[in-house]
Amino acid sequence: MTCWSVNRRTTDYVDGRLRGVELARVEAHLRRCAQCEMRLQDLGSIRSSLQELPKVKSPASLRTHLRVIASQERKLILEADGSRLRLLWNEWKFRLQEFMRPFTIPATGGLCSSLVLFGALAFTIGNATRGVAYEVPLMFSSDFEANLLPIELRSSMVLTLSLDGNGRITDYAFHNDSRSVQGNPATLQRHNIAMPEIPSVMALATPVSSDIQISVTPMIFRR
Amino acid sequence: MAHPFLTNSGKLSILAGAQTGISEEDARILRGLRSGIEGAYEELIERYEQQVFSMVYRLLGNQSDASDVVQEVFLKVFRGVASFREHSSLRTWMYRIAVHEAYNHRRWFVRHCRMEVPLEDPRPEHPNSLEYTPDPGRSPFEQAVDSEARTLIERALTRINPVFRTAVVLRDVQNFSYEEIADILQVSLGTVKSRILRGREALRRELTQRPDQGLAEAMA
Repeated sequence: MTCWSVNRRTTDYVDGRLRGVELARVEAHLRRCAQCEMRLQDLGSIRSSLQELPKVKSPASLRTHLRVIASQERKLILEADGSRLRLLWNEWKFRLQEFMRPFTIPATGGLCSSLVLFGALAFTIGNATRGVAYEVPLMFSSDFEANLLPIELRSSMVLTLSLDGNGRITDYAFHNDSRSVQGNPATLQRHNIAMPEIPSVMALATPVSSDIQISVTPMIFRR
Repeated sequence: MAHPFLTNSGKLSILAGAQTGISEEDARILRGLRSGIEGAYEELIERYEQQVFSMVYRLLGNQSDASDVVQEVFLKVFRGVASFREHSSLRTWMYRIAVHEAYNHRRWFVRHCRMEVPLEDPRPEHPNSLEYTPDPGRSPFEQAVDSEARTLIERALTRINPVFRTAVVLRDVQNFSYEEIADILQVSLGTVKSRILRGREALRRELTQRPDQGLAEAMA
């Protein structure tokens, strides 16, 4: 970067508006060029000095003069308008708006944040499968009481469940090597196959309608 | 009788500002001003008197002139509020009027008073005679050094070209952004940057080439 290029960026540099590569290039030039460095340092000091200039207080008489001017101008407006009732109404409205100002900003902020939060979660409402915190027994069996299925669980078998989009079982079937039984969804509850909903892996996942297969091996036969 | 405060339809424009980009606060004050509500006038004075005075004083370097100009600015604002189109904020609009009025005042002064010989001290008003907001965190020595530096920079500021001085004051003293300055002065962003740079360069020259003279005047 040349002195001319740095000169073109002087205002932005002194005001701290240069960023990234451009800032790095200007700084690299300043490390090489003592003249530019001194000049920019001076300009930076001048800016700081100007910023530190104290606030000048206006003379007390100025406010009085301004009030007199305001009063005269206001009188002209009121004479042109004519309606005293309207003036009273406007004055009360102005005061009310001024009074409500501290309340409206936090209230608007709260409303906006609740809308954003609701908007972010709205798409999950109605689609999400309800997660369950307890284990739902798929089926239950003992050596002597095969109360769930018309099959004695003496060997491995495969349970095929057909799910609808809401995670409910619409159909089911069992089959093992020798037999196959088509289930009746209407008797699910009666057979104590307590699986009204399939808990998803993720509580907020969208259920899909498809078949799932579960291989069941009774523990007693594992050994 | 037609009045500048009234719209073409002859009614007060109560809803003005609702469809534009100005802030709700500005719109509320404008509605109040257009309806002749005392509180709105008071709020405008309360909010802008000090700021506008400070800026005009930095442009003119004289307290009495600055007071006159500020009164003129508020008079123009009160009278022009009905025709204010609200393309910019109320603050920007007020500063635009203030800059114009300061220019006009300077022009008038140069034209009419340049040849006059004043009876009192011909030097511009000494800045130390003004009331400043005190800084309780500084020692007397630091305050003396600050005062000297401040006097030097204020003197240098009065010597540079008024066009460049305006840009520098708006940026460095009043802390406006480039965009706001462009809006106030109604020039392009490039022009704003150029004027700020030239103003700062002129200040640098004043402070480096004539430091003794500046110091002598400051200490006088």
